[in-house]
Amino acid sequence: MTEPTVQDDPPTATPGRALLRTRVEAAASTYHELPGWEEVAAHAAALADRIALAPSLHAAQPDLATSLEALGCTVVVPGTEDPGADVADVPVAIVGGVLAVAETGSVLVTEHELRDRVVTMLCKRLLQVVAATDVVGRLEDAAEWLAPRGGQAGFASLMTGPSRTADIERSLTIGVQGPDEVDVLVLVGTDAATEEPTT
Amino acid sequence: MSELRPFGERYATALADPDVRGGLTAFQRGWRVSRDAAIADLEAQEGRSFDELRAELAAIKDGVLANWEHHIDTFTANATAAGAEVVRVATPGEANALVTERMQAAGADLIVKGKSMVSEEIGLNSHLEAAGIIPVETDLGEWILQLAEETPSHLVMPAIHKRKEVIAELFERVLERPFPADDIDRMVKAARTELRERFLASSVGLSGANALISEGGSILLVCNEGNNRMSVALPKLHVVTAGIEKLLPTYADAMKQVRLLGRSATGQPITVYTNFLTGPRPGQEQLIILLDNGRTAMAEDPDVAAALRCIRCGACADVCPPYGVVGGHAFGHVYTGAIGLVNTSFHHGIEAAAGPQSLCVSCGACATVCPVDIPLPVQILEVRATVARAGAAGSAGTVTRAALSAFQHPALVGLGLRAVGLLSTPLRRDGVTALPAVLTTRGPLATRIGWRSPPAVPLRPARDTLRPGRLEEPPRLADQPLAGRKVQLFLQCLSDRIAPDIPIAAARLLRAAGAQVTVPREQHCCGLPAYDSGEQDTARDMVRQTMAALADGADVVTPASSCLAMLGHDAPHLLRGDLGEVERAQELAGRTYDLISYLATGPGRLPAGSLDDGDRTPVTVHRFCQASNTLGRTDAIEAFLRDVAGVPVVPLPEAGECCGFGGSTSVRNPELSAGILDRKLGCLDRTEASVLITDNPGCILHLRGGVHASGREVEVLHLAEYLVRRLPGATSMSQED
Repeated sequence: MTEPTVQDDPPTATPGRALLRTRVEAAASTYHELPGWEEVAAHAAALADRIALAPSLHAAQPDLATSLEALGCTVVVPGTEDPGADVADVPVAIVGGVLAVAETGSVLVTEHELRDRVVTMLCKRLLQVVAATDVVGRLEDAAEWLAPRGGQAGFASLMTGPSRTADIERSLTIGVQGPDEVDVLVLVGTDAATEEPTT
Repeated sequence: MSELRPFGERYATALADPDVRGGLTAFQRGWRVSRDAAIADLEAQEGRSFDELRAELAAIKDGVLANWEHHIDTFTANATAAGAEVVRVATPGEANALVTERMQAAGADLIVKGKSMVSEEIGLNSHLEAAGIIPVETDLGEWILQLAEETPSHLVMPAIHKRKEVIAELFERVLERPFPADDIDRMVKAARTELRERFLASSVGLSGANALISEGGSILLVCNEGNNRMSVALPKLHVVTAGIEKLLPTYADAMKQVRLLGRSATGQPITVYTNFLTGPRPGQEQLIILLDNGRTAMAEDPDVAAALRCIRCGACADVCPPYGVVGGHAFGHVYTGAIGLVNTSFHHGIEAAAGPQSLCVSCGACATVCPVDIPLPVQILEVRATVARAGAAGSAGTVTRAALSAFQHPALVGLGLRAVGLLSTPLRRDGVTALPAVLTTRGPLATRIGWRSPPAVPLRPARDTLRPGRLEEPPRLADQPLAGRKVQLFLQCLSDRIAPDIPIAAARLLRAAGAQVTVPREQHCCGLPAYDSGEQDTARDMVRQTMAALADGADVVTPASSCLAMLGHDAPHLLRGDLGEVERAQELAGRTYDLISYLATGPGRLPAGSLDDGDRTPVTVHRFCQASNTLGRTDAIEAFLRDVAGVPVVPLPEAGECCGFGGSTSVRNPELSAGILDRKLGCLDRTEASVLITDNPGCILHLRGGVHASGREVEVLHLAEYLVRRLPGATSMSQED
């Protein structure tokens, strides 16, 4: 299979990322390469003024909430009491992925705690953020990540596109019990920043 | 779950509902396009063929069964370490009681369910309802069926038998607001709103498992809608119901299953959510119920053990012609499609398995798409034989058995058919028997016989016409690839007596190519009809008789590809109890050819243009389903017609799909057979060809009868009948009149 070339990708772009873009778009998500978290905040703020953050992401990237608030957004980080109610009507949410699989356009998200899971389940639009260095080629690479974590309580999900169904007359309908829209945001660093590709 | 009704009732209901057939035909066609594209992409991506990829996954699944207890123990230890409770149960009753007991202990009266075929298998919903617990299905298709008080008709697309208009009406009635039929998005969003409340209110959730990964104690759980993620995350107790065959050793093995599952199920490279759950989330309990319910017995039966590889993708139903006519409520029990014909007898008993057995046309399509390479057609015939031995309701029955028994005696068959031939002489028209309209258009028999005119029964069988010296010498071809070569013609029992023009034409062609054609007098029937009816003892006797009749070491050529499928493919399997017999069967198989293979690539290979008489009237070709699916033949006839006969061939859509003859199916379930035929004739219309060529006599008589009864003007010919007309100086070959 020939991989489509993406002309305005920076020199650091690997074949893996070009394939990832193709597969992410084939799964009906959008694909963006951004320099860093500041740009993630800007991307989110352009979509809505209430943004939910997965608690695990908030813990790892505390500055993200600050950036969002500086852009005029209300940030919601679900608590432990009734996390579902906290995020039920938030239009946009951000979650961090541990890796992305180019072969399928999937982002592997770990969300052991309920308050992490409600973010990816209940929002209408989900931004999945992954570092360019964590883009892997094949599903077996995700298996390699999972294997040493066996036997320990955990929940990992390869997410590929927005939720969908074809249960009525095999007619594809996007948006069922999960998000209606998904953006995959790949952090490429300031040297390799690129904006929306034209191809 | 409502109680399953008897097979006959389900069959009649399915036939009476026009939505079933229309919807399923469209579904099967759409699935085929998506799946084929997805598999082609995968083959390119992996640089390996589908056959190699599925062999790899099949070997992984077989490896688990070879070391089953070890994998169950490893899974149990790892899942327990992660905080889950793992309980093995033998029967549905134990599983149901366990779920009920845990729910009552937790004071829960509502359970949100993700899709789980095992929960359907054990009838969990009706059990819970009896205990005052409300089960709520959360998969859209399953939820629709719950509202409609129905059961799934497909492993992956549970409500595929329902049209959107019917679902819209259902939603209007239950939700008491308007739902336009063409606004599927509104229906989906309504489900989201309705179900979200249940998710948030329920303290118990249930899911199945697509795989149990022993190296980590993880559950692989895939879904597209996201409902499964919610039903396992939100409640305080997560119950998993899974069959013990679902084990896979490693996460890497699970990825191999993922690659084939989505593509085979829906044509997706991967489902939207591919979840790996290890133990419960904080604040939650997880109960994993591992169910046997006949699986150990399956593993111990070498004829069906491979069916435990099944990953529940539903592909075997998606290519199944009878499924396309009657759908999963008739074709199967809880498990539908080809796999249901195998595993139902182990999970639900022989009586439950018996009725749907008669629906299988043995076309072999299921085996070509199964992502774990289960030999489904062979397994179905094994279960059918068990059903026949048990005399279960729905087996062939004493009348069929007596007929098959009588059929073993050639003299009896000859006498009987001669009588029919004499009696039906006044009704003979264009190769069929034109039945009086009073029988075919009105009255109780109309739907059973009106759709197909029976063949004309000739007065003289082919074997008589082909006695030495009776048939005039045919013109000789310029090339004589068979000069001096002896060929034993195997007539095929049906052609011999009902369509003698076919073997006679084959004999003339072979002679024209130089062969010295003999017709061994002792030949009768290869045993296929008996094998197909589950009467394996009778079938074995007939194979042995055929082997003895053809013991002379010369080439055997038959105009019937079905006999080749029997002698070349099924006979060694049928005789597997005796290695000596297997060897003799294989020796015969090695020198047996169907006519097309003999003339196209075998010893009788004819050079390009050698049967080109200048006629360029386009023809189309129906590919005998077993030749496509079992013998692996693709476009041999089309290529031969183009290259050797110089005739333009219009491709027939769905050329390799069964025409609906299906051996005994067209007699036992004529309405089903008529439905499959209708789809085939619809494809034929699209070619606008005036000649349809194929090479299996059963198909020919069936198609000829269907063309005649529907008033179409298409000539249906055996390849040999068509080709003899193109011999130099050919005249009419008919031996009659």
